[in-house]
Amino acid sequence: MGALSLVGLTKSFGALQTLKGIDLALKDGEFLVLLGPSGCGKSTILNMIAGLIEPTSGDVRIDGRSVLGVHPKDRDIAMVFQSYALYPNLTVARNIGFGLEMRKVPGAEREAAVARVAETLQITELLGRRPAALSGGQRQRVAIGRALVRDPAVFLFDEPLSNLDAKLRMETRTEIKRLHQSLGKTMVYVTHDQIEAMTLATRIAVLNQGRVEQFDTPEMIYRRPASLFVAGFVGSPGMNLLQGRIAGGRFLANSGAGILPLPDGFGHLSDGQAVTFGIRPEDVSLAGPDAPVALPAMVEVVELTGPEKLAVLRLGDERITASLAPGAAIEPGSSCRFLFDPAAIVLFDTATAQRLDPHPDRSRDHPARSEYPRG
Amino acid sequence: MPTIPTTLRPWALMLPLLVVILGVVTWPLFRTVSLSLSDAGLVATSGTFVGFDNFAKNFGSKAFQAAFLNTAWFTLLSVGAELVLGVLVALLLNQPIRGRTALRGLMILPWALPTVVNAILWRLIYNPEYGALNSLLLQLGVIESYRSWLGQPQSAMLAMVVADVWKNFPIVALIGLAALQSVPRETHAAAIVDGAGPLARFRFVIWPYLAGPLMIALVLRTIEAFKVFDIIWVMTRGGPANSTRTLSILVYQEAFSFQRAGSGASLALIVTLFVMLLASGYVAIMRRSALRG
Repeated sequence: MGALSLVGLTKSFGALQTLKGIDLALKDGEFLVLLGPSGCGKSTILNMIAGLIEPTSGDVRIDGRSVLGVHPKDRDIAMVFQSYALYPNLTVARNIGFGLEMRKVPGAEREAAVARVAETLQITELLGRRPAALSGGQRQRVAIGRALVRDPAVFLFDEPLSNLDAKLRMETRTEIKRLHQSLGKTMVYVTHDQIEAMTLATRIAVLNQGRVEQFDTPEMIYRRPASLFVAGFVGSPGMNLLQGRIAGGRFLANSGAGILPLPDGFGHLSDGQAVTFGIRPEDVSLAGPDAPVALPAMVEVVELTGPEKLAVLRLGDERITASLAPGAAIEPGSSCRFLFDPAAIVLFDTATAQRLDPHPDRSRDHPARSEYPRG
Repeated sequence: MPTIPTTLRPWALMLPLLVVILGVVTWPLFRTVSLSLSDAGLVATSGTFVGFDNFAKNFGSKAFQAAFLNTAWFTLLSVGAELVLGVLVALLLNQPIRGRTALRGLMILPWALPTVVNAILWRLIYNPEYGALNSLLLQLGVIESYRSWLGQPQSAMLAMVVADVWKNFPIVALIGLAALQSVPRETHAAAIVDGAGPLARFRFVIWPYLAGPLMIALVLRTIEAFKVFDIIWVMTRGGPANSTRTLSILVYQEAFSFQRAGSGASLALIVTLFVMLLASGYVAIMRRSALRG
């Protein structure tokens, strides 16, 4: 009912190619988030699915059928926009029912559908008002209602939460998640906010400069970023990235931060290869006095955010951020020893900016693997 | 330099403006009112007090009634055509067409011309012997012989309206274009996804953003058209057979051609009153729609 596939989508504006071949396939009922910085092409992709922009080449298929050249209204999609895009001189009820009205759905049937949707979104008391008399959050609910009432195969969301304040953004996000769970419809959601992407998606496509950097589950995007771009873009604070090279089966930081043992499976890397060592702040922890392979560092800044304590640690010329328990005993200006969770380490080839995966052949593992304590 | 007390400073700053307003607005208005209540002439400006005689006489006169109808007719036709044409041109110039910026600049040209220049231009176009309009229509086979467009009561007013529309539709188009650019693209996209055709999109997406600014254009153009003088004076002087004589022309003729300053002043006040009525009517409508917003 809502399987969606994008096949080799490109878009050029004159000599400028903004989309460079997008291939994504979704099963019915998936929640895809297109995540990327502004100008990465994510909204263009959404507009192509909607039929508001035609691709230069490639295909958009809904349920296996190409919808190229099909008018947006006949594509069985509904769209929610960042600016709500409500019709200013129509009441909330007519705004929600507008798509049905344009499709000549009989009045009684239309009213029943509008009432049902209003009930779901708890905006029944707003039905008689005009958009100008609504708050931002209420307007976005109306815009979502306008999409819901059509019962389309695919829902498209174009940064729907960007104009809302922080509290409303969270509430509406949960609301959208709830809708997805109860409706089970395919949804495609564009955002530059990685928290929205992580919380909503069943799969995320991270886009950069018109290409898909990684198309995977939120978990994998976060734990196993495919490239330095994904590692830096997803996560707040971002993944710690240390530049260095392989020396004797270990990681030697360029900044002189020290020599770090590598986890299992990287014995195949050759000496001198330039690599980037990635570790999430929450995978950095303070070491007890008897820990075998802890690194010494100076504590520069400590920030308590509430649920966590962020510490900026300095090793040599490099800085890394550690996310610690709020009660962690750490003072700025003092020295400390810390260690990494070896399972969480991600290595990147500095030359290609792509992730390096552990080699399956364990026989070539370097003995250094045993240097990390288990636990 | 002596310092002015703080409480007096605003007044000191406004003094020059107050003097100007008193000199060129308040005093003439007061003089017009006092003249309108007298039988003063143009030379013997100190006439005797006659009460509302001038108003009563003018309201009942055939010349006034004819001039009023001419003015109303001129206003209705030219403002109506300017709004329709202005909106159409604005919609056209809002499309992503090649050379749009140049066309936008070109469009404003008729409005930028001085009215007198425009009037002379159109007098030449309408010329019964060598006018471009005659030549064009003859070649197209619409007419069989040259006509005196401004010399016949049937066509003179229409010719006047055409000239006025040509001059003034650009300001409507300009206001319309500015309004169209405030129409959110996303609302437009939403309407397309909702399946709205071009007419429904105009009505539900564009019109809400166009209506307010267009109302302002309507007010400005109605008031201007109701006071029309220069374009008519240059082209026909109110003729032929008074067929293009509007209220402002009548005021001028009464006061200066017939040298009846008192009577002319009363006519001028009547025109002012009509304009004020029109303006306050519009303002009331605008208030109401703003409240509904």
